[in-house]
Amino acid sequence: MDILKKDKVPGLLDELSKNAHVFVPKTVNQVKKFAPYKSPEPMDLTMVNTTMPPKDLLFPQTQKMYNFGFDVDGKLYVDPIDESAPQVVFGIRSCDVRSVECMDDVFLTKGFVDDFYQPKREKLLMVAIGCTAPAETCFCESMGQDPNNAPSADIQLRDAGECYTVEAHTDKGREALEAWKPFLEQGEAEVTDVHCTLKVDMDGVKEKLDKMFDAPLWDEVSTKCLNCGTCTYECPTCHCFDICQENRMKDGYRFRCWDSCMFSEYTAMAGGHNPRPTKVERVRNRFMHKLDYFEDRYGKELCVGCGRCVADCPVGLDITVLIDQIGAYDVQ
Amino acid sequence: MSVVEKEACACGGACEAPEDEEFKPKILAVACNWCTYAGADLAGLNRMNYPADVRMLRVPCSGRINPQYVLEALQKGCDGVLVCGCHPGDCHYVSGNYFTRRRMLVFKRLLEYAGLEPDRFQVRWISGAEAGKFRDTVTDVCAEIKALGPINTGNEEA
Amino acid sequence: MADIQETVRKRARELLESGEVASFIGWEAGRFPNQTTPFITSDPAQADRLVWNEYCVNTPAKYTLDEKGKGKVGVCVRGCDSRAINRLMSDSQLTRDQVYLLGIPCPGMKDRHTGDVLTKCRECRHHNPVVYDELLGDEVEVPEPEGRWAQVEELEAMSREDRKKYFDDAFTRCIRCYACRDVCPCCTCRECFTDQRREGWLGKQGNLNENRFYGLTRVMHIGDRCIECGECERVCPMDLPLMAINRKVVRDMNDLFGEFEAGMETEEPKEVALGTYKLDDVEEFM
Repeated sequence: MDILKKDKVPGLLDELSKNAHVFVPKTVNQVKKFAPYKSPEPMDLTMVNTTMPPKDLLFPQTQKMYNFGFDVDGKLYVDPIDESAPQVVFGIRSCDVRSVECMDDVFLTKGFVDDFYQPKREKLLMVAIGCTAPAETCFCESMGQDPNNAPSADIQLRDAGECYTVEAHTDKGREALEAWKPFLEQGEAEVTDVHCTLKVDMDGVKEKLDKMFDAPLWDEVSTKCLNCGTCTYECPTCHCFDICQENRMKDGYRFRCWDSCMFSEYTAMAGGHNPRPTKVERVRNRFMHKLDYFEDRYGKELCVGCGRCVADCPVGLDITVLIDQIGAYDVQ
Repeated sequence: MSVVEKEACACGGACEAPEDEEFKPKILAVACNWCTYAGADLAGLNRMNYPADVRMLRVPCSGRINPQYVLEALQKGCDGVLVCGCHPGDCHYVSGNYFTRRRMLVFKRLLEYAGLEPDRFQVRWISGAEAGKFRDTVTDVCAEIKALGPINTGNEEA
Repeated sequence: MADIQETVRKRARELLESGEVASFIGWEAGRFPNQTTPFITSDPAQADRLVWNEYCVNTPAKYTLDEKGKGKVGVCVRGCDSRAINRLMSDSQLTRDQVYLLGIPCPGMKDRHTGDVLTKCRECRHHNPVVYDELLGDEVEVPEPEGRWAQVEELEAMSREDRKKYFDDAFTRCIRCYACRDVCPCCTCRECFTDQRREGWLGKQGNLNENRFYGLTRVMHIGDRCIECGECERVCPMDLPLMAINRKVVRDMNDLFGEFEAGMETEEPKEVALGTYKLDDVEEFM
């Protein structure tokens, strides 16, 4: 099989950097995130996972959409902006690879293709690394993922101690591996499967939730929520965005940026009506979106089991505890 | 000048003056209606000359000024903010400027602590008769901020 | 600790059963070892879920605002929480008769990952509740910590450029989740300036400029009301040094306008720094 010795990794990434922006897990300014390989901070492939998800590579926090203004003849012009460039994400985990599948569903299917997401997605190469030590908050297995292998990643690496085993899963991956040849060797390597310690039972959860819109459970679950945006901004699948513009006199640009359904003014409308006025409605909406509505629309859960929200919620609101509660809930 | 205008011009953007000209600061002067604004009016009546870099914002009292407005001005790209009001003891609303004095003092220290150049946010007492002081203050403040250069907000689009 | 836990459960059950309180706020165990999470219940049968141990990191005070419409609210309060309740009462968010306070002297809470005492607890100056209806357990004697202004002084000693870099780095990593505002007992505005979409003070873009605007404005809007509970810094997912900024303002007000500590009084607070004035106040910039 193809193996990549660990000491060859920097050389490989240097080579890949010639034709693409390579992103690897790093701690930058005290935050664990996918950052440019070329930036000064050291790469850290041993961290269990980043705090900020890799969705930024396809769906940036702030993305300019188009410039507008008046040209010399006084005519309005609208100039779409394409910031896409070839990108490689090296060291992405199965949970986050699954999140890209979910984002693809949202931005590329159902008859509307997002012009800003699509070019970035086409130019992205995903090189996944199988997990070796899932955190106590990881529960991807219960959500249908395999921490050791991400089938929709372009290339899958698995840690075998001194080296990684290398396998392409997609055509894009097979094509990309041609450039890796100088760094790969043939050999045998042993990998060990790991499993998540945190498990939940997703059986029947969606069907129950279909009947639980008015359940009093939401009152209990939502009481401690602060309605901050931590879970939504750290979540790899959250994709709500706001569209706004910056303009000076006659020129400007339109941009979109992340938004959060947890904010009280997220559904505020002109005229003052707000269909989700209290945190009960907002918390209910968030979990229903993750575990019910997305399944209806796209046939998969929107939660990938990465556990970032479980680890970082300031009040310890835990989706896995909620899933347990839903499982135990008696739906009349 | 927009990108399109530059390309349309025969020189391709070389004649565009702003980048070559000296920096003209944009300074927001928040002036209380009863004293400072009257002082500024008097300066105008007396045909006193002062730099046009200052944009006046009239408020009923300097005590009306929420530090948020100063921060909004600075974050939107104003190179400096000048807050002016009546002399303590002369406030039209009796005690408004006493609150200003305490609030702006704490606020100014906070801004400098966060790394803003001290000259970019200044507070002055200017009464309705002190047209000369208004002119001198504005002239001095504009010169100080011009020397500091454009504000660095940290936004490449600023 | 275990005795107090039993008393908390017993008293919560009694208060709920008798109808003296309509809901009770405390902590319960989370899923992970040593994890606790805020717990609010109206059902006396659930009182046994309440816990009291050295990992009760959240401050429960602000939840009283959600519960107050239903009747009296029972709350477990320590030093920081009781000051937060005082803060809410001073800000006219609560009246004294809307809450029933179970005072619990607190030795300091620990981080469940490292076992270290939390920063906010190491720096805490009031481990015993300052207002309560009943006190469970004896008051703790904890020596007053040194260096209340140490971090502020260290930053002030830096050059302006270094300080700018320090705070710019901090505000660059801010993701504007607003957890700091949501957890703060001073932040109770019905419509926060950040939510005023029509006025458009700021958007949702993640950039240093807007993050800094939000952070500094929030500190000034808190003004002289900060109780230094440290919750903002604890909840921040990006580890911003928020207390360094809050304490700077508190220190300046102490130096300039006289020593005071917010949240110590239940009645109408006396001379608060930014809400009063003296005719001969300092004017160092004029």
